[in-house]
Amino acid sequence: MNRRVYLDHNASTPVHPEVLEAMLPYFSERYGNPSSIHSFGRAAREGMDVARERVASFLQVGKDEIVFTSGGTESDNMAIKGVAAARGRGHIVTSAVEHHAVLRTCSALEAQGFTVTVLPVDGYGMVDPDDVRRAIRPDTILVTIMHANSEVGTIQPVGAIGRITRERGIPFHVDGVQTFGKIPVDLDALGIDLFSFSSHKIYGPKGAAGLYIRKGTKMVSVQHGGEHERRRRAGTENVPGVVGLGKAVEVRARDMAEEAPRVRALRDRLWEGLQARVPEVRLNGHLAERLPGTCNVCFRHIESESIVLGLDLKGIGVSAGSACTAGNVEPSHVLVAMGVPLDWAMGTVRCSLGRSTTAEDIDYVLDSVEPLAGKLRSLSPLKG
Amino acid sequence: MRYSQTLIEHFRNPRNAGMMRDPDGVGESEYAECMDLARVFLRVRGGRIEEARFQTYGCGPTIAASSAATELIRGRSVEELTELAEASVEDAVGGLPADRVHAAQVVTAAIRAAARDAVARAGRQAPVPGE
Repeated sequence: MNRRVYLDHNASTPVHPEVLEAMLPYFSERYGNPSSIHSFGRAAREGMDVARERVASFLQVGKDEIVFTSGGTESDNMAIKGVAAARGRGHIVTSAVEHHAVLRTCSALEAQGFTVTVLPVDGYGMVDPDDVRRAIRPDTILVTIMHANSEVGTIQPVGAIGRITRERGIPFHVDGVQTFGKIPVDLDALGIDLFSFSSHKIYGPKGAAGLYIRKGTKMVSVQHGGEHERRRRAGTENVPGVVGLGKAVEVRARDMAEEAPRVRALRDRLWEGLQARVPEVRLNGHLAERLPGTCNVCFRHIESESIVLGLDLKGIGVSAGSACTAGNVEPSHVLVAMGVPLDWAMGTVRCSLGRSTTAEDIDYVLDSVEPLAGKLRSLSPLKG
Repeated sequence: MRYSQTLIEHFRNPRNAGMMRDPDGVGESEYAECMDLARVFLRVRGGRIEEARFQTYGCGPTIAASSAATELIRGRSVEELTELAEASVEDAVGGLPADRVHAAQVVTAAIRAAARDAVARAGRQAPVPGE
């Protein structure tokens, strides 16, 4: 049996044992509907309240500014469509490297008559705050820029952007799914009005997430039904999931500061090892302003999927930077926006480390990648 | 695993990989949509394939299909290979998922091209009747 090494934490993470333990009673003992007034419902409501308290305290915001959702995608949709629906028309500023949950939501609004400016990024995947300033028009109703990129890990200058939007009185939405619980986030200091976050990227369960909505932000509900979440998100809450999210946040608040430097050191060990042992590799993303666990690398003249498959056969889980669907390969929109040349971009692999990653794991990955890259290159007609 | 054991085996241990010196036929095929590129070299003796080698850039299935196909065509007649069926390459690699059938297409096209090249070269080398 091969060693198993999971290096895809930006995609999802294993549920922390403490989180699982906190969730279990909410499946079998505290199963009531939190909207019910009897003791069964109240027991479920208590779990939700504790979770909301933990998230609000972690983000240093009010409890009534947190809305629980089913995932980061829903949070992004709620924020963008909610602001747009409240205004009816107008202009939205976003960037070329956003998650599809943001880009495609903006496109859908464009089809409904809104106008959208998609800002470019530099070679590190970073948005220039001056571009945001220049893009803002009198009819701009929203600026939506992610906090850190899930593929390359580049952390955007959201503080500088937040100062601009605050000056102009424009709501600022930040997709914080990749930074929440990984690096410190001060929503007030950064000038963020809407902040999407998720549970399963921080050792919580899938299907639980949330949106911070600064008090006074004008938006309307895009999902209609009952009175849940202060009438901002109709639908019976995923109580075990939300309880898990709350616990995950509590654990992150405790462990984050200690874990980030350890993970960053392992990430750098991986990149330094790759540089030393594999020819023609390049790092994508910002060197300093980058998520601690993200290492996105191009292997020139090798196709991403063949590396992913080769590593999978060694028990290693990484993700491909170019997705092949129905025989049609497209390099990621993030790498394209960064201007990564095609012959490099096609061989992109993202390694995302996490709390369980060890130095032995990294060395095993290096020992596996080196011969694999050599073998795949020896097969390739593009080289030699 | 979404791929067959045969496919995985060929991906792990590709047969007949690498270029060939002085081949009797060379063919190349590119699958533009996913940028896969396969190049096949043939050594022909008495109208039949004595040896086939490949160089391939592409996903795991395309590399595996290249390897399996070079084994499949050994001993076959060159004429026959100019019309090699994609299905036979797909079978040789133990089947392909619907979104990876291009692997068989690109390899088959490279083999057909190499076979046509071999036929053409043989024709040029054949003595002209009456001389």
